Amino acid sequence: MPIDFPSDEWTTAYQEALNASESYKEAGKNWTHGPIALVVKAEPTIGVEQDTAFILDLHQGVCRKAWISDLEEANKQPFVITGSYAQWKMVMRKQLDPIKGMMQGKLRLKGNLPIIVRFVKAAQELVEATSKVDTRFLDE
Amino acid sequence: MSYDADLNFVFAHTPKLTFGANVVAELGTSLSEMGHSRAVVVTDKFLAEKTDMLERVKKSLAGRFAGAFTDVIPDPTADSIDLGAAYAKRQSADVLISLGGGSAIDTAKGMAVVLTEGGKILDHEGYHALTRPQTPHVAIPTTAGTGSEMTMVLVVKDPARGQKTFIGSYFLHPDLAVLDPTLTVGLPAKLTAATGMDAMSHAIESLLSNLRNPFSDGYSLEAIRIISTNLKRCLDKPDDLLARGQMLIAAAIAGSAFSNAMVVLNHALAHTVGAKYHIHHGTANAMFLPHTMRFFTDVSADRLALVAGALGISTSGITDEQAALQAADRIEEFNKEIGLTDRLSDYGVTEADLPAIADMALTDGSIIYSPKPVFDLDEIASVARKAL
Repeated sequence: MPIDFPSDEWTTAYQEALNASESYKEAGKNWTHGPIALVVKAEPTIGVEQDTAFILDLHQGVCRKAWISDLEEANKQPFVITGSYAQWKMVMRKQLDPIKGMMQGKLRLKGNLPIIVRFVKAAQELVEATSKVDTRFLDE
Repeated sequence: MSYDADLNFVFAHTPKLTFGANVVAELGTSLSEMGHSRAVVVTDKFLAEKTDMLERVKKSLAGRFAGAFTDVIPDPTADSIDLGAAYAKRQSADVLISLGGGSAIDTAKGMAVVLTEGGKILDHEGYHALTRPQTPHVAIPTTAGTGSEMTMVLVVKDPARGQKTFIGSYFLHPDLAVLDPTLTVGLPAKLTAATGMDAMSHAIESLLSNLRNPFSDGYSLEAIRIISTNLKRCLDKPDDLLARGQMLIAAAIAGSAFSNAMVVLNHALAHTVGAKYHIHHGTANAMFLPHTMRFFTDVSADRLALVAGALGISTSGITDEQAALQAADRIEEFNKEIGLTDRLSDYGVTEADLPAIADMALTDGSIIYSPKPVFDLDEIASVARKAL
């Protein structure tokens, strides 16, 4: 049964999908730069009443923990990537490459860009793992 | 040259520029029109003390001159930017005027962020993280190469972490670029050649990039055409204002192109040997460029054939691949004509160093926009080897 994005349930399912991915394990094996917070901007028209973040505690190819948080906690993470609901949906559907999205200002990155781009293959695998979660988008 | 059906892009650059010999004399008028009354000039000690450039700017600013921060350093550090911002704050600056090459312009971009957002520059590390206009900035380039006057990025060195980082935002475009060829006539020959080839690399690489778009492509081709016909003239006759002006224009156009389309493997290699062996950025780009072009001929012959045309090579009756290879040969010849004959071995680099160079280039952000995936260390080393 499809899981609403974003939600606690979706975040848990995504963590499981990510940790089941051998490709991510390989691509992210040298990641030691701390958690990444992904922020979905509020979209009250579809029920996302406030900015919602989910934080991925990534370390050496493993997602040690994943949880929904508020903006305050998200902004304390070393990397924060912010986008609208529509843009995250495009990323998950592979219609927007996340690195290209950052270059074009469609996604906003707080943190060290050179570190992120060094892990471009890991970023692709992070996106790939979203396709393993049966997702229900709130605007559909 | 075709584009994919899913083409999508954003194209942005500095909104206004003025060009002309002695146009720097109109700076004061421009600031009046922009509503600014306290300008801090951001430059380096050499330009401030050994040339008349700062005096010319001060004269134009007249009563609007609020001071000069003359401690710009090559490859600006976070501390140098924070110091500059503190100075500008003390002087109650309402506009920054950068005067110099990429380091001065990047320093002013960083100062603008700290003045507006507070804190220190590294607090604002990120890409498109800024959400509002920054302190106004007028960029006056004194070299024709970096194109930083047209770009939205600043590069900051963080000695504490031993890293360079980027801060990018559409709000970092200078508000005005002043292109005055009289400010570049004193540039030494080697620096003229090297900075010119930096601009050439921006133009050719942005044409090869996966982020290219019809606007950046048009800009790139025009920049290549201008550089190929004017750089040598600047060297033959350093006070040729026409050629100097054309080079300033080409550098700005190429800056716009790569600010939007990015650069590729060539810059990744140039950044690497710049950091490891202190090879001038433009010289390093020139060194690798023909080899990078040959390396990408299998996937980008159509684009490199357009480069050939812009370089003045007749492409009728030959295949794209033949034209691409002729373009690479022409760049190699052009390097010799302008005196850029440096090789990696001149800087002590040996075959044994190539794996480390390849490894470091692989982690450079520029490499990811290359027209074919470049993940193989041997492939990268093979390109670098050609420049030994």
